[in-house]
Amino acid sequence: MSAPLLALDEVRTWFFTRQGVAKAVDGVSFSLEQGEILGLAGESGSGKSVTGLSILGLVDPPGRVVCGRILFRGEDLLRMEAERLRRLRGDRLAMVFQDPMMTLNPVLRVDTQMIETLAAHRTIGRSDAQQLALEALRRVGIPAPEQRLRSYPHQLSGGMRQRVAIAIALINQPDLVIADEPTTALDVTIQAQILHEVRKLCRDSGTALVWITHDLAVLAGLADRIAVMYAGRVVESGPTDAMLERAHHPYTAGLIASLPSRNRRGERLTQIPGMAPALIDLPPGCPFRPRCPRALERCRGEIPLSAPEPARTLRCLNPMP
Amino acid sequence: MQPLLEVDALSKRFRRAPDLATRLAGRITGGVREEVVHAVDAVSFRIARGEVLGLVGESGCGKSTLGRMIAGLLAPSAGRIVYDGVDLTAARAGAAARAALRIQMIFQDPFASLNPRMRVADIVGEAALVHGMVGAQDYAAFVDDILRRVGLDPSCKRRFPHQFSGGQRQRIGVARALAVRPEFLICDEAVSALDVSIRAQVLNLFVELKETLGLTYLFISHDLGVIEHMSDRIAVMYLGRIVELASAREFFLMPNHPYSRALLEEVPRLDARRAQYHPIRGEIPSPIDPPPGCHFHPRCPHAFERCRIEAPALRVIAPGRWSACHRNDA
Repeated sequence: MSAPLLALDEVRTWFFTRQGVAKAVDGVSFSLEQGEILGLAGESGSGKSVTGLSILGLVDPPGRVVCGRILFRGEDLLRMEAERLRRLRGDRLAMVFQDPMMTLNPVLRVDTQMIETLAAHRTIGRSDAQQLALEALRRVGIPAPEQRLRSYPHQLSGGMRQRVAIAIALINQPDLVIADEPTTALDVTIQAQILHEVRKLCRDSGTALVWITHDLAVLAGLADRIAVMYAGRVVESGPTDAMLERAHHPYTAGLIASLPSRNRRGERLTQIPGMAPALIDLPPGCPFRPRCPRALERCRGEIPLSAPEPARTLRCLNPMP
Repeated sequence: MQPLLEVDALSKRFRRAPDLATRLAGRITGGVREEVVHAVDAVSFRIARGEVLGLVGESGCGKSTLGRMIAGLLAPSAGRIVYDGVDLTAARAGAAARAALRIQMIFQDPFASLNPRMRVADIVGEAALVHGMVGAQDYAAFVDDILRRVGLDPSCKRRFPHQFSGGQRQRIGVARALAVRPEFLICDEAVSALDVSIRAQVLNLFVELKETLGLTYLFISHDLGVIEHMSDRIAVMYLGRIVELASAREFFLMPNHPYSRALLEEVPRLDARRAQYHPIRGEIPSPIDPPPGCHFHPRCPHAFERCRIEAPALRVIAPGRWSACHRNDA
């Protein structure tokens, strides 16, 4: 087997604030093959977004990737010179944010922004660029793309804007796209359209995708593999079906059980007591220990990485039976 | 049996006053076209005492506007709201106010709905004090009791909202609503802003309160999972109109309206692994200029000629089931 497209190795991204060091990402490792869709799941503050930003080198001070390696096609992005990384971004690596207005420039027409993205990474004639932009919009399912090209972002609906943002991310046919909660703000019917199109695009073009979300149900229908994050660590990862059918970590199991489901209407939902810990001065050991129903005295110590099944990882000393 | 709440042909229209340029243009061309949004368009339903009605719909369908009218935060443009036999839209101010006090609302954003400069004890207790439901000497014990009821530690009642997490703030919002001993709670996307593990805690709280206090809910959400978990009956709204109304069991077993079906098919579910999505095409039309006839017809796979011309009425299709679709006539 060849080297993976992307491999994170013990990445730590810490924020040096006045109150102390917040270890937003604290030893995250995972890898991704070409064309694979990885779902990065977690609640607010679990470090899933910062992980995405770390890959693209977009972490702002006081945050800093303090150690670890992020290998993209075998090259460490963390030790790459800034100019080379800049050229990779938007070309081989792309990102889609939750709010499309973070990506789109409100005073430029859609075609201007799309052509800019193309021209920044290759020499291309205007009419060719226009043609590629048109195709990119068509690929993400935008109706009447000729008209949309000439509109400004404010003339589009939220769903349309997110599609334009996705089209721009995909226009250079990148090898890897990081998508940070791109459908969270959208309505169900629009979300379904976008999930459908994104999955098709990844299959057709071999683009690998990291889909960051808090919604396990979205990942159930989209991802090949899921990694669950808690307090800056990946606590469990594995193939989607296996993860959802047999969660080993009590946190993953708790998350799945706390989703309202058809079979348990009106019954009490299983709830995870307490709330996510503050990331400053996190005690050693398992960060989930104070909320965990299966916590042991040993959980205060170092939690080694284990592999309960092939292709799965787990950080837990007392996994679910 | 008399329903606790009866909403009859309730409508809300929002007008945008034309600006100066438009008025000038109107002078010249003759006639200004006023922009009117039919946020809620002649909606009728009833809720029995102790029932949970789940109101589901996508953004802009008017579900929040409907909730706000029932809570008395917005004046209806037309129609009646009858609560426990009292017409809130016509009753004298005193009677309407007394009835309205029994209806309380819980809002979506626990960060925006609490006054950041008030202490929790005052946020929770002020209304009850003003309405004379509690005397000054019992006030402290009263606030403690309500905080305990929603699962908050009374020792933190001297704190300000910013010192709490999202889930705790939502509990403060619930405590505030409960303080005036309401019978009817309107929960407008009350758990949408919360993390999954916290959401389960707050949903459990709602179920618990319903059982111990005998509350009736109008539960508004775009999340079908949450609606399904909470509701006895479901109402589906699309662009200001209710398109289907049915018991939760029947609705999830066999939705009638094409829009309800599409909604149900497209909700991501844990048990629907890599299912093939068959997304409904197109966007939700603008409520300023909704399509004629059935509002859903441009996106509907079954639309025929009549759907483009005539708006279907919400009619009984089976005992206790209503749907607004011309296909039921065939």
